[in-house]
Amino acid sequence: MATPLRQAFDQVRRAPLVLFVLLYTVVTGGPLLWVATMSLRTTAEIFKDPYGVPSPIHWAKFADAWTKSNYGTYFWNSAIVVVSAVALVTVVGAMAAHCLARYSFRGNRLVRLLILAGLVLPPQLLILALFQILLDINLYNTLSGLVLVYVATHVAMTVYILEGFFAQIPQDLFDAARMDGYSDFEIFWRVTMPIGAPAIFTTVTLNFIILWNEFLFAVVLLTDDDKRTLPLGIMHFTGSHQLDVGMVATGLMIAILPIIALYAFFSETMIKGMTAGAIR
Amino acid sequence: MFGSAGRDAAKVEIDARRGGLGVLLAFLAPALIIYAGFTIYPVLRTFYNAFHAIKPQGVVEFVGFGNFTALLLADPVFWKAVTNTALFTLVATIVDVVGGLLLALCLFARAPLAPLLRVIWFTPVLMSYVVVGILWVWIFDYDWGLANASLRWLGLGALEQSWLGQPSTALWSVLFAHEWKWLGFNMIVFLAALHALPAEVLGAAELDNCGWLAKLIYIIAPMLRTTIVNLMVLSFIGKMMVFDLIWVMTGGGPLWSTETVSTYVYKRAFEWNTFDLGYPSAIAVLWFVIILAFVAIVTRALRQRDRLEF
Repeated sequence: MATPLRQAFDQVRRAPLVLFVLLYTVVTGGPLLWVATMSLRTTAEIFKDPYGVPSPIHWAKFADAWTKSNYGTYFWNSAIVVVSAVALVTVVGAMAAHCLARYSFRGNRLVRLLILAGLVLPPQLLILALFQILLDINLYNTLSGLVLVYVATHVAMTVYILEGFFAQIPQDLFDAARMDGYSDFEIFWRVTMPIGAPAIFTTVTLNFIILWNEFLFAVVLLTDDDKRTLPLGIMHFTGSHQLDVGMVATGLMIAILPIIALYAFFSETMIKGMTAGAIR
Repeated sequence: MFGSAGRDAAKVEIDARRGGLGVLLAFLAPALIIYAGFTIYPVLRTFYNAFHAIKPQGVVEFVGFGNFTALLLADPVFWKAVTNTALFTLVATIVDVVGGLLLALCLFARAPLAPLLRVIWFTPVLMSYVVVGILWVWIFDYDWGLANASLRWLGLGALEQSWLGQPSTALWSVLFAHEWKWLGFNMIVFLAALHALPAEVLGAAELDNCGWLAKLIYIIAPMLRTTIVNLMVLSFIGKMMVFDLIWVMTGGGPLWSTETVSTYVYKRAFEWNTFDLGYPSAIAVLWFVIILAFVAIVTRALRQRDRLEF
């Protein structure tokens, strides 16, 4: 008897909650949708009505941005740098994490402390000296120099996450593998890596997103236009074409799309990856 | 005989965790060499730089604490940057923690479509600062930006502002964009922590007819203390070093109103024609020491209270 009334009350009490939730969804999603529409409209159309629906849809703008405005080069630079850095930091970090988690040796704690100290180092503390160092060894303004810097600055986070996971793999597995005559490297490659795959996937995701978006190191360490990564390219293009809003929006979408495409398929993995360092 | 067999078995067990020096080096060396060369060495070099004047053509002069006294006693821009960064950090850290918790509670209270909303709300976290920055420059545009357009639509046209163009609103506008990007992150971390809470405790509160505000303050918040402290520290460190978004949106202007310590370091090193890497290094070192000290004090204070209460 009282239940329908109670339910009605609950509905009323929940109304502000639902309203707030809707509002916040519009605030987060709205601006992204707005860029998406602008990326398919010409600047003239946008200035006539900034919030209109794209019609006709100018798909050709993406081809224009890719070829005429150098976005193709920026995209490939980003892809090369990020893929090499992520591959390198994953292999190197997994080896170190395996070693720290599996072997007891003198200095284990010292090495661990030294690497994990990298978690608290602000980039501003490194960037000026890195500029000098890369100049000294002729890697300034090269993609390989940037890759090395990315690996060095992300190895701490990678080792931190992987070591925590590797340490939980039961020692019995390793004893058994040793009994079966596996070498030290085979144990790493054929026991730790397959079992640690979920954690490795997490660090790959995390490093990929962070490096794809990285700006500060790139802006200090690269100068040539044909070496710019995507964030630098967009910044540069925006600086020189401030009024061509439509074209800048297309450039933004080129940077956003790969991430959104991955997110559509791997949203849970990406959320887990981005928050891996903060949870627990 | 039996005893020696036992000893042998023990030895085998220990051996599985022991590797030769060659093996250990093979595993550790790649990481350690890159890390030492491009992280440890640069840090040491920055500390060295801070006590020198580093001029072009390899001219290096020892100046002792000269850089530090100059920036503490005779650099108004540095102090402006410190004030801005402190204000930004304080407000943004509070908004991060409180806002993230409230958003998480919305989804935890079984809002409709919660799993989908969780994914949508997290999207800005994945965007680069360059994308977020340019997008919000447009939103804050005086003539056709979304901010002023919404105000006009709501009939509040009188509140129209040149958001990024005047010193009184620029810092707050950048802060708003920053929170837009990061709230989703804090929300997810809180949501994970909320789902890990023991259901019996919340159920018991329900039975005791505990109001939701009381439940939040007396039950949920204390149980989430570790998460709150972790997020505060994380947020604090991030905000003390804020660079990208400010660089993209305002470049530190207008009239130093959004200048932060990080943007000032960058300007002194690469934009102003002062040609001295020593001075900005001194700023970076000083700021790092302050961040470390703060984090140490905050974590110690909050963890200490923890121990006394339970």
